[in-house]
Amino acid sequence: MKRSYVGVLLLCTILLLNIVFTQLMVHQFYYEHYATTLVYGGLNILLFPIALLIYRKEKHKGGTHGHEQ
Amino acid sequence: MSDRNNRVPFDEDNYTHNINRNNERMLDRRGFMKTLAGAAGVFAISSLPWGAVAAKELLGLGEKEYPHQKIVNVKDIAIGDSVDFNFPSEHDSAILIRLSDKRYVAYQNACTHLRCPVYWVKEEKEMVCPCHHGKFDAGTGAPTAGPPRRPLPGIQVEVSNGGVYAVKVKRYEA
Ligand code: FES
Repeated sequence: MKRSYVGVLLLCTILLLNIVFTQLMVHQFYYEHYATTLVYGGLNILLFPIALLIYRKEKHKGGTHGHEQ
Repeated sequence: MSDRNNRVPFDEDNYTHNINRNNERMLDRRGFMKTLAGAAGVFAISSLPWGAVAAKELLGLGEKEYPHQKIVNVKDIAIGDSVDFNFPSEHDSAILIRLSDKRYVAYQNACTHLRCPVYWVKEEKEMVCPCHHGKFDAGTGAPTAGPPRRPLPGIQVEVSNGGVYAVKVKRYEA
């Protein structure tokens, strides 16, 4: 079995970044650093098209399964 | 094959007949990636309201003046005492403290840790949060001890004709 996990790992990284940015955004919001809030919010939004792109690219890659050999 | 199912239990020659194959591929590699991409979308959408409010504040639309609200009469509050009131709406509880003859300070009293109501301890000249023993400096609203990291939002007060009035919610300098 040969599998491609690059896409999965990339998407996991994006999820991690999403969580980090969201945390930072909410905190900066309560600290009333509104410009920084916008930056993190923007980054969060930017991650979505990137995730879609990765998903599209990786969708058909990856494993030949045992029974398909 | 066909007569097997007529005997219960039939002789086993493999150990896979009891595996339920329905939805077996629900969360394979591709499905998992789809979920992750979807999660990114949810994060993106949920960032929008925060961004919107932040932008609004940046453009100065949040700087509105509320109708002046009388808190107490000057003669009803001794030096070192505090009064609770609600400002700007009746759901925002706040506290007014008379620090000296002329000096009044007021803060939104929801603790910046987990929003417990902060109260004034006259003897120690400190604002204390009962929940996790957070403490705030009465003069500035800055946290001095315990879990809170952010200062309490100040409320600007004004003294005129014998009464203390709440004017507007100050944006604290962080
Ligand atoms: S809620 Fe005030 S210290 Fe935790």
